[in-house]
Amino acid sequence: MQSWRGKSLWLALSASWLLVLLRVFPLLRLAVPARPWASAPQGWPHWLDTELLPSFSQPGELPEDAPQPPQAPRGGGCDWGACFDASKCRTGGLKVFVHPVAGPISAAHRKILASIESSRYHTASPEEACLLLFLSLEVPAGECSPVPQQWNGGRNHLVLDLHPAPCPQTFQLGRAMVAKASPTADTFRPGFDVALPLLPEAHPLRGGAPGQLRQHSPHPGVPLLALAEERGRWRTAGTDPSACPWDGRCEQDRGPEQTHPGGTLPNATFCLIPSHRPDALHFLQALQAGCIPVLLSPRWELPFSEVIDWTKAAIVADERLPFQVLAALQEMPLTRVLALRQQTQFLWDAYFSSVEKVMHTTLEIIQDRIFGASAHASLLWNSPPGALLALPTFSTSPSDFPFYHLQRGSRPVGRFSALIWVGAPGQPPLKLIQAVAGSQNCAQILVLWSSEKPPPSRWPETPVPLTVMDGQRKVSDRFFPHRAISTDAILSLDGHSSVTTSEVDFAFLVWQSFPERMVGFLTWNHFWDEAQGGWGYTAERANEFSMVLTSAAFYHRYYHTLFTHSLPKALRTLADEAPTCVDILMNFLVAAVTKLPPIKVPYGKQHLEATPPLVPGGPEPQPTARDCINQMAAGFGYMPLVSSRLRLDPVLFKDPVSVLRKKYRSLEKP
Amino acid sequence: MGQVCLEREEEAACVIMCASVKYNIRGPALIPRMKSKHRIYYITLFSIVLLGLIATGMFQFWPHSIESSSDWSVEKRSVRDVPVVRLPADSPIPERGDLSCRMHTCFDVYRCGFNPKNKIKVYIYSLKKYVDDFGVPVSNTISREYNELLTAISDSDYYTDDISRACLFVPSIDVLNQNTLRIKETAQALAQLSRWDRGTNHLLFNMLPGGPPDYNTALDVPRDRALLAGGGFSTWTYRQGYDVSIPVYSPLSAEVDLPEKGPGPRRYFLLSSQMAVHPEYREDLEALQARHGEAVLVLDKCTNLSEGVLSVRRRCHKHQVFDYPQVLQEATFCVVLRGARLGQAVLSDVLRAGCVPVVIADSYVLPFSEVLDWKRASVVVPEEKMSEVYSILQSVPQRQIEEMQRQARWFWEAYFQSIKAIALATLQIINDRIYPYAALSYEEWNDPPTVKRGSVSNPLFLPLIPPQSQGFTAIVLTYDRVESLFRVITEVSKVPSLSKLLVVWNNQNKNPPEDSLWPKIRVPLKVVRTAENKLSNRFFPYDEIETEAVLAIDDDIIMLTSDELQFGYEVWREFPDRLVGYPGRLHLWDHEMNKWKYESEWTNEVSMVLTGAAFYHKYFNYLYTYKMPGDIKNWVDAHMNCEDIAMNFLVANVTGKAVIKVTPRKKFKCPECTAIDGLSLDQTHMVERSECINKFASVFGTMPLKVVEHRADPVLYKDDFPEKLKSFPNIGSL
Repeated sequence: MQSWRGKSLWLALSASWLLVLLRVFPLLRLAVPARPWASAPQGWPHWLDTELLPSFSQPGELPEDAPQPPQAPRGGGCDWGACFDASKCRTGGLKVFVHPVAGPISAAHRKILASIESSRYHTASPEEACLLLFLSLEVPAGECSPVPQQWNGGRNHLVLDLHPAPCPQTFQLGRAMVAKASPTADTFRPGFDVALPLLPEAHPLRGGAPGQLRQHSPHPGVPLLALAEERGRWRTAGTDPSACPWDGRCEQDRGPEQTHPGGTLPNATFCLIPSHRPDALHFLQALQAGCIPVLLSPRWELPFSEVIDWTKAAIVADERLPFQVLAALQEMPLTRVLALRQQTQFLWDAYFSSVEKVMHTTLEIIQDRIFGASAHASLLWNSPPGALLALPTFSTSPSDFPFYHLQRGSRPVGRFSALIWVGAPGQPPLKLIQAVAGSQNCAQILVLWSSEKPPPSRWPETPVPLTVMDGQRKVSDRFFPHRAISTDAILSLDGHSSVTTSEVDFAFLVWQSFPERMVGFLTWNHFWDEAQGGWGYTAERANEFSMVLTSAAFYHRYYHTLFTHSLPKALRTLADEAPTCVDILMNFLVAAVTKLPPIKVPYGKQHLEATPPLVPGGPEPQPTARDCINQMAAGFGYMPLVSSRLRLDPVLFKDPVSVLRKKYRSLEKP
Repeated sequence: MGQVCLEREEEAACVIMCASVKYNIRGPALIPRMKSKHRIYYITLFSIVLLGLIATGMFQFWPHSIESSSDWSVEKRSVRDVPVVRLPADSPIPERGDLSCRMHTCFDVYRCGFNPKNKIKVYIYSLKKYVDDFGVPVSNTISREYNELLTAISDSDYYTDDISRACLFVPSIDVLNQNTLRIKETAQALAQLSRWDRGTNHLLFNMLPGGPPDYNTALDVPRDRALLAGGGFSTWTYRQGYDVSIPVYSPLSAEVDLPEKGPGPRRYFLLSSQMAVHPEYREDLEALQARHGEAVLVLDKCTNLSEGVLSVRRRCHKHQVFDYPQVLQEATFCVVLRGARLGQAVLSDVLRAGCVPVVIADSYVLPFSEVLDWKRASVVVPEEKMSEVYSILQSVPQRQIEEMQRQARWFWEAYFQSIKAIALATLQIINDRIYPYAALSYEEWNDPPTVKRGSVSNPLFLPLIPPQSQGFTAIVLTYDRVESLFRVITEVSKVPSLSKLLVVWNNQNKNPPEDSLWPKIRVPLKVVRTAENKLSNRFFPYDEIETEAVLAIDDDIIMLTSDELQFGYEVWREFPDRLVGYPGRLHLWDHEMNKWKYESEWTNEVSMVLTGAAFYHKYFNYLYTYKMPGDIKNWVDAHMNCEDIAMNFLVANVTGKAVIKVTPRKKFKCPECTAIDGLSLDQTHMVERSECINKFASVFGTMPLKVVEHRADPVLYKDDFPEKLKSFPNIGSL
């Protein structure tokens, strides 16, 4: 009896226990806060009635809404569409007039004026111009430059303001755009104003110092950080993560540092430019030195930010997060560091190293706005050789240029066009035509007849189309972008040149691997002549070379466009006067664009014997020719030519193996 | 964390149980017959404790089924049941948006200080229903799109439910369409959010701003410092670098299935599909149509549609009826004209159809213009130039048009097609601003996948000829052939540009010879001992390498002359981004076997160089060691072969360029290794090498090697010229 009662009691007890347990547990769970697996799925709830929710717009409201009369641009602000009248530029092209400057001007201003006048956009007549440039001068504090004539409410005006602290009550800008050195992001009107770099007084007019970077990757011994200090000086800083190198509060734990004397460029991987030193000179210094600028303030608009993708060359960081920034710099992958370093050099060289480049970039940006859809693509601005050397008038498709095949995954298209220039003697180059037409890769032959004699009426039968064009009597005409040229590759020849089919074939193949360079047979070398105190060049055979003769060379047809439309007129005139100059000029141009030497391919000895005086005036150039190279160097502002010590031969060239194995066996004929 | 909770919970359960047991023991009914009862009692007690433990365990490790059923009521609720918040009429209103706000003035980055991996954390306020003093709701609680948007954020990596660690706050107050809300009361609702703090770090999404009659281009709700992701900004209201311009979502994106149509010429050159176009503009468009006939099509609302047909999906021209948005695929260019608002949903439809939008809306800030390059996908025409639009478009070359069509479609796919895409792109843009050093690049934002796949970004893209004075570091990999090694060291040390010699001692069982036994040379000589005998040790980026140029050389390559090596270095200087080596090899496609084949015969072509002696940039050591794709590194170490082929693949893949073979050298002949030249060994060797090529090509997913037909020789090589005047007279034979 008792045992039964006991048992039932036990049973009841244990049952109630279980119940208690089950009831208590959920409560317990609530009492214990923030269980990880309970929190993870929490988030925005999945509503039961999601499907029933109304759409944010009523049908009829979208895709249209009530029509509204066109609004006139509001006063106060300006943007490109509202304040610039581009119609005049579209019809006549961008023409720039500079308002005459009243009163004395500084050397820096004179350089700016000179660089604009040298631009292909410059015009002397304000009626013709669609952009009027006004140079805002440094005037005593409180005063302002007078409003120029033909101000026209500032319409189509660009005010060049090169002083970091502008005149406080600048005259009514009206609709004028402002090109200003390191403007603050607050007052900058994107797409309308232009942000300029702050140029030092001594910035060269053209040419300019090259970037300091001599190697791609940072030397292992180079410190990681340099910190900008007063008056353009730099201090290398430790990377102790507990110290914030740009903050005065932790000056005491600087670690091993040294201050560089003023004027030298920083030698570090990253250059920190704190916001309390808005000395924009630091920025250009870092850029030139190949030291990656780390701007600790997002307040400035970076120079030419409209077109330059600064994320590829600089780091804009927030100084309010010092530890994250330092950690990010220390942990930055080598690949990124390499890319940033190289980009600083490219940008310095392409847009900043001289006053001329800075001003031409400014005008090019405005030109791009006018062009709209056919402006430079971002790729053209942000990869070598840069937008000043990649003319959008040539093509809007990057694959048409010789520079972007890698980035685009494309190849130069088609075969080549042989362009034979027939000069004074006026002999039809029959043998040459046969040799070139024999090549599988020849698409067409163009004869540019520039002789006084009339061209013969009959030309040999060739498997490829042969066109005779009546050239002008100028040597530079051979580098004119003739419409008839239909291929990317041009084989430039002189009437008296001599090449074999096999040489042409091999050279074309090599050119396809280096479409941005000149590939030639005969070479010259330049040298610094101590005795004369100038540059000289020689046609003598030597262990190195820096130019190939355009009397037999492959190059991309884009260089014709560049030669005709971007070179200063003075240089082209010079070339017309002395025929050897034209070779030098073309080599200067290509070297300035590529920064690389041309390529030499094998050339049979028999040609040399057949046509001895390839260089007019023999191997020792005449005094005028010597002058020529120096005048070219002066015109470019520096010596762009680069020497090479190698020649590209076929893989089995002159190897002691059966001649049957060799593809280019005729190249080896004695 | 989980562990701690679990233990604490069990403890608590135990305390309660024990307490009850004690009480039971004292119970009067249990006192008699203790002995036999005791056993039962203990057994029962034990089983209860056991049961309790099992129950605990069940709660712990059966999370989801139990959880979801118990949380069901919390998670799966109706929008109608959300808590109601009453807003008193006099509750504070935020100030109007501050037009001077920028990230460095109005945004509190310190809140983003915690976030690891350079990713901002976003908190979403829970949904409430706001009513005024009279109980009248302030707005629709939430729209389908805003719910989708918040779900997308909640499902993303950005989401956090910890308000104290969040960097960005997204209110659940739906302001997508200004017309559906009461402006003052919505502002009051914003102001009472728990972390509002003048709107700092708060992000509002709005697609339809303004209202009649003047249609402001930004949301009219006062919002103080809050960031605004808005559709239809004009340059006057857009705070550059602070606000985000977003698209106006087109509901047709989800409703209509529109298969992609490739680029190319289409039936109409220019199409206008918008219904509510201002009469003045319609006149201009119709004038265009009259002038250019068939090429221009201007569509309008249909007036005589039968009942039941969705008027949104039809457009008419005279009596012709067209399906919308399908008709957009018939046009090359499509007009996107502003209405009362600048942002138009038609832009999304147009992009989707691969039609190039012609945006005619002065001062309109295009969606995501901070990162997207609209020049590549659209043509912007000023309103006053509308009559010239045809001639402006005619000047765009066909190739560029096709590029733009492709680009338009890609923009839609990546950034327009769903609310989710719009939300994530917005957050990515803000994330990029806060962590600029980890931001996505221009190419990542703008290049369509096909371009990304085909393009190569050479890591050493700067045209630069390093100075000769820097010299090179020779790295000799050796195991135990000391005698041969010493000869190599002596030979290499004769090269003028050698700046350092590094011996990688790959034999763990044997010590390298004593210091005194090594040849005395004019440059520093360092010996590095390795932990394992692996071939990849030769390509390790040792700290000792100070020069950019590296000469990898085997310990048995003794026949290369000093002139050959010096010339090799000079060639490398002119091609610092390439592998510069002596004997060249070739890969060929074997049509019978349908796979790649390794070729070492006399060929006119070359695609690889052997790294038994080769110059290259030291960066490639870093790539080989840390960035080699797939399991290639392990494969090489396991097979003790093909490290040179792997290096050739790596360099060609990353630079997109061919190798440079220098001098006629074809073989590394040496007295010790003549035995390997035996025919049978040679054949297995070739099979193995072919296998490597096939393996690597499959890992890389492509054949990166480039075939060329040239090699580099000194300028005067084999020329009829006095030998003593040549820079490199002693270029060896084969």
